[in-house]
Amino acid sequence: MDPFDDDLVEAGPDDRYFDYCLEPYEPRRPWRGKLRAESLLWAALRIADEREWLEAPLRAVSTAVGRDLVVWGLKWDGRRIGLELYFYDPRKEDAAATMTAVGRVLEPWMKLEPQVRESIPYFMASLEPSADAVRAGRLEAMRLYLAGERGHAGRSYRLDASGFELENTYRFFDPRRDIEDVLALARASVFVDYGDRRVLAQVLPPELMACRKVCIAKKRRADGVYFSGIDVEALAWFLRRHAWPGTLVEIVLRHRTRFEHVWFDVGVDVRTDATSGRIEFPKSSFYGTM
Amino acid sequence: MQTPEGRFEPTRFEELTITVGFRCHSACKFCIVREGMNDFRGVPLERFASLAADNARHRRYRRVVLTGGEVTLEPALFDYLAVARTGGFEHVRLQTNGRRLRDAQFARRLMEAGVDEFFVSLHGPDAATQDLVSEREGSFDEAWAGMCNLAAMGACLMTNTVMTSLNADRLADIVERVAPLRPVRMEFWYYLPMEDVEDRRDLLVPMAELAPRLRTALDRCVAHGIEAVVKYVPRCLLGEHGDRLDNAQPDVVIAEDFYEHYPKFSCLWEARCEHSEHCLGLHHPYVHKYGWEQDLLVPQPRTRPWRAPTWGPAAPVDRPGRRHLPVHPDERAEGHAPWRALVEGVAERHGARLAEVLLQRRACVFRFEIGDGGVDVVLTARSENGPALVRTASFDVHYRNPSGADREACIALVRDAARAIATRDPGGMRLEARKGLVGAEARRSAAR
Ligand code: SF4
Repeated sequence: MDPFDDDLVEAGPDDRYFDYCLEPYEPRRPWRGKLRAESLLWAALRIADEREWLEAPLRAVSTAVGRDLVVWGLKWDGRRIGLELYFYDPRKEDAAATMTAVGRVLEPWMKLEPQVRESIPYFMASLEPSADAVRAGRLEAMRLYLAGERGHAGRSYRLDASGFELENTYRFFDPRRDIEDVLALARASVFVDYGDRRVLAQVLPPELMACRKVCIAKKRRADGVYFSGIDVEALAWFLRRHAWPGTLVEIVLRHRTRFEHVWFDVGVDVRTDATSGRIEFPKSSFYGTM
Repeated sequence: MQTPEGRFEPTRFEELTITVGFRCHSACKFCIVREGMNDFRGVPLERFASLAADNARHRRYRRVVLTGGEVTLEPALFDYLAVARTGGFEHVRLQTNGRRLRDAQFARRLMEAGVDEFFVSLHGPDAATQDLVSEREGSFDEAWAGMCNLAAMGACLMTNTVMTSLNADRLADIVERVAPLRPVRMEFWYYLPMEDVEDRRDLLVPMAELAPRLRTALDRCVAHGIEAVVKYVPRCLLGEHGDRLDNAQPDVVIAEDFYEHYPKFSCLWEARCEHSEHCLGLHHPYVHKYGWEQDLLVPQPRTRPWRAPTWGPAAPVDRPGRRHLPVHPDERAEGHAPWRALVEGVAERHGARLAEVLLQRRACVFRFEIGDGGVDVVLTARSENGPALVRTASFDVHYRNPSGADREACIALVRDAARAIATRDPGGMRLEARKGLVGAEARRSAAR
């Protein structure tokens, strides 16, 4: 038996489906007998040798916040897989979704050091739990996300011992109906040189532009582009393109028919390398819920 | 076009292509046979016989297209043709490289066996160009002799030119060369890489280079009174020849995974452009090589709201040599009439309008407009356990995209339509459950 078969979690009749903004969606296909996206989270953590450190705190958080309501993001910089967890509570109705409450749940494994003033109108917050954090017994930083104009935009702030720092801005679009805005914001870049006509297709590749929602982010050292609502074939293409560990790609491909009901979300950081003039992707990521 | 809702694949609902085998005596640089499908044995004769028998009963297809590889190399070709004659098809088309047609007697036998349309590959105006493409010396001379034989016999001759970097500058010359043979139609297809998606062979030609040359070739066709058809080129690059774009393909009986290799298409201006329901934009290997061409492509402003395509509209009736003539309403409705009849009267009962019937290989979509919104009632092939609102003798009935203020009215209309379809469906109305119609049994066991 494949050791990764242990990571596969079957879809249940009561599963709910949310994208990485925790917006609900109709699964693409009937999901009975298929797999939950979180199967890939567990497989990736096993590949990263972090599963044994992180499984217990992750399950505790999921139980506290609610099944399907924690968004996970896996990141790859070409060397290691990292994890970020996102908690949404746009209306602050659920006490379990405040960062203060999440911090209490995580306390037995890692203490969340920054204290959040809960009167800040954040609609989302994120943490980066890791085996190192569990070994150290503490998480030194978190991020808070605040809404921008009309709810189609946002900003993120990093919070650590030294206080808040503005990190990124985000803007969401319909990739077809808002195409002019997508192009204008993508091109308004200090990091990416769009001089060569092929660059746009590298940043916005056709395989991913067939998505449901696109997000353009402006970050401190790169631009970010996120594609929400891609199918498992496009996910496999994306993982291969960004040279994710072969074992993970293989798992996706082997079980592609059992992930066909899921809309996945993916993202990249992108910039032009000053020396070679080539486009580079210092980080890629994909998302699901648990 | 490729969107999250699905993939828009224009289908000509009236044609069935039978891939007889992938053996060939040419080795065209762009051909799918050398590009990874060469383990496909072809559709077994018995399989074709059962499809033909089915067609004789239901008259779904007006035309059968026999293709390969090189179909004239098939030892059992005349058996396939005998079967084709029993299938109730109005036309039997042979898609061939034309080389064996240099034997006039063989060409005549084919006509006598029922072939009434010859679709001959012509990738250059001379031996230097075509033999370079086909990688077989003498192939142009043989094909040319074959075409001359067809012309002499008064056969319906159509040519097919795959446009690559090898012949893009010779398109008008191809027209001039073949014009004296009075072909009924010339088709120009932009090259679709099936496996060499990175185009290591350098066959993809930039649209900025191709388009003016193609337009000149199309001008020459007009001057000679030859009907022309273009596939896989953005419509906005065709100038006044825009209506010669016809991306539809027949239903193809081929190995299931053929479609995994089939390139997908997109255009950044899709939601802006009036033509996006018919134009495919650019294929993805092209976009990766040359970019989105967002400045070269010019969308025609839309007059109707855009909706993400799923199956797209069915292509109109294909009548070689008569494309420019208006299609008689009866002929346009042909094939659609029994489908329309399934929901006849439903819209009227609800103060709604049946705006469109989209008949596709795998689905029939009834697009209703009601109040300020609408709803699509969708038929797919009957399954045993797939999700469906109602299962009728032939179909699973679904609905999608309900919109407008009055949801109750939408729901009542959908229920009524489902009831009507269940009552009227005579059984035996065919939609394909899946894309390809043959599976693993048609593959050779050797690895590629
Ligand atoms: S703008 Fe795009 S959809 Fe419109 S005709 Fe040109 S390629 Fe086709």
